[in-house]
Amino acid sequence: MILELRDIRKSFGSKQVLDQISFQAEGGKAFGLLGRNGAGKTTSIRILMDVFPADGGSVLIDGQPINYKKVRIGYLPEERGLYPKKIIIDQLVYFAELKGMNHKAAVKAADYWLERLGMAEYRNKRLDTLSKGNQQKIQLITALAHNPDIVILDEPFSGLDPVNAMLLKDVVKEQIAQNKVVLFSSHQMSYIEEFCDSIAILNSGKIVLHGDLHDVKRNYVRDRLVVRTERPENIIADFGKRCEQIDDCTLFIQLAAPEEKQSVMQQLTSAYDIDEIKVFEPSLNDIFVEYAGDKTDKEDRQ
Amino acid sequence: MTQFGKILKFELKYYIKNKVFVGVTVFLVLAIAAVMFFPRVSGIFTKNKKSESSSELSVMLLKTDSPELTELLDNAFGEAFTGYHVQTTSDSDSAIQEMITSGKAECAFVITGMTSYTYYVNNLSMYDQNTSIADSILQNICRMSAMVSAGVPEEQAGSIMSMEIKHQTENLGKDQMQNYWYTYIMIFALYMVILLYGQMVATNVATEKSSRAMEVLITSAKPASMMFGKVIASCLAGLFQLVSVFGSAILFYSLNKKHWGDNPIVASIFDMPPGLLVYMLIFFVLGFFIYAFLYGAIGSTASKLEDINTSVMPVTMLFIIAFVVVMYSFGSGNVDNTLMKICSYIPFTSSMAMFTRIAMSTVPWYAITASIAILIVSVIGIGILSAKIYRVGVLLYGTTPKFGAIMKAVWKA
Repeated sequence: MILELRDIRKSFGSKQVLDQISFQAEGGKAFGLLGRNGAGKTTSIRILMDVFPADGGSVLIDGQPINYKKVRIGYLPEERGLYPKKIIIDQLVYFAELKGMNHKAAVKAADYWLERLGMAEYRNKRLDTLSKGNQQKIQLITALAHNPDIVILDEPFSGLDPVNAMLLKDVVKEQIAQNKVVLFSSHQMSYIEEFCDSIAILNSGKIVLHGDLHDVKRNYVRDRLVVRTERPENIIADFGKRCEQIDDCTLFIQLAAPEEKQSVMQQLTSAYDIDEIKVFEPSLNDIFVEYAGDKTDKEDRQ
Repeated sequence: MTQFGKILKFELKYYIKNKVFVGVTVFLVLAIAAVMFFPRVSGIFTKNKKSESSSELSVMLLKTDSPELTELLDNAFGEAFTGYHVQTTSDSDSAIQEMITSGKAECAFVITGMTSYTYYVNNLSMYDQNTSIADSILQNICRMSAMVSAGVPEEQAGSIMSMEIKHQTENLGKDQMQNYWYTYIMIFALYMVILLYGQMVATNVATEKSSRAMEVLITSAKPASMMFGKVIASCLAGLFQLVSVFGSAILFYSLNKKHWGDNPIVASIFDMPPGLLVYMLIFFVLGFFIYAFLYGAIGSTASKLEDINTSVMPVTMLFIIAFVVVMYSFGSGNVDNTLMKICSYIPFTSSMAMFTRIAMSTVPWYAITASIAILIVSVIGIGILSAKIYRVGVLLYGTTPKFGAIMKAVWKA
């Protein structure tokens, strides 16, 4: 199954929130939708879930307009919350039924997931008697119980302790293994790097970067060196503005072009006392800051 | 089961499992049972007390200056004031006043001539009829003595005085006196249930929004299904409570009917025509929908639960104004005044205004049909509009948006 958002536009009043958004997410792979707060992630997700219509563009499944009666979507919203005063099993069954399950199947699915996430003992308790982490797990069940084809997880790891985070990782891997489209939205880049095969970065309602994560990293211009030395001051004096000190012993050296790499490395190792030298490989975090940061931030860095 | 059906079931379950809802309903039924069984239970005691009661009547003092009048007035007052133990006295006025203020006597008539007297009473009740009774006694005595002194034989004068006028009233419409109490109770019940349950809908929606349950709900169900599910569930809960209260009242009354005997108010309440109950049902359901939809829409625009009270104020005010207009016309007895006629066709007021007119007056069938038709069309219109406001409102967080901004967003949606 391939989920595609094509040329999606959306305005609220005079403010254009999404401007020709397009991306694809494939079944059996996780897709990371990244962006700063207010970039348009939640609006994209809501359009994808048919909460409100787009002003233009289309949501497609395998190239055809999505049929919401046939395609089941599970959603873990960033703003968590269920009915605090209601019995857990009642609300889990209610949400599963709303997603189209019959009562019997909904009870069975809710019980399976309570067991799977180690929450069976809280089945007949009120939600507000649970800790925050456990409430998160209940919320996760509402996203998964109805066996959705598309799973949308907005900041799924926030608020989870390391043990629960491991449990959630296993669940996410299971969902991917079941050939589902898993769409991640998170600011925790380490998790995105761990799970996602491809990403899209949204900035001010536009897709500024889209593609396979490995390709994105590989295509990143390799024109910076990372140098570790006990005496950075000598290098700084010689390289001037091309040099940026990161900490006491670490420097970034900007190359005029990637091809300059060899010669500059030789120059550095022969002229200075160097402990370590390598080409700078950006992390997803660096890429995110690069693409999702303000223009002024970028200019400052350049 | 459709999505709407699932929401309705879930919301109804909320009321049925709600301890306050169950508690209030049980309390009301028990209270009605206590009132309805009271005459049966208390009757055991009153049988023995009846003989003593005559000596426990309030004392009315009677003082006259002329001794020849004393016996005549004593008899006449004794016959007229059956609720009092009439005692003649020759004490001074100050002593009489003293007796009244100390509570030994309730009131006193000091007759100062054939056509004048002073009435002493500690606290003059709004419903005190004693002076008008005394006036007619004295008038009769004056007329009798005038006729006798003019040469009319005493017997003839007596028969002239006791001449009775026979009359009969042919009521072609409704008897307001008889309809008064049950109409009063029904309007009050309508008012209470619509206000209480309407506000519950608003709180319910705002709770879902503030607890962020809405984030999942809005992606799981259509706003119209959610709005209609909630409103109809609370309407059914309100109806259930109304039926419990009225049903138990009718049941308990029929069990104790003979013990209530000749109490005219109670008899008139339970003598309500069944057709009126049908009208009450129609106007309750339609009136409820109008307000519950509005409350639901307003609830969806509030971000925090504490904003609800101020947000719903305009709707509550509208409803209270409708209630005041109806109650004022109802109290004045003129339920067919122009204001009431206009209010009978305005959807926000017609549920109470038209119902009151049907109960207390004679309204042509086409007027009733027109009023109900306007209400039905308005319910559908307001329902659709509210579902749209709801869809826009539930996704707006932060400060409560202005009405104009919401309508603009609804128009665009």
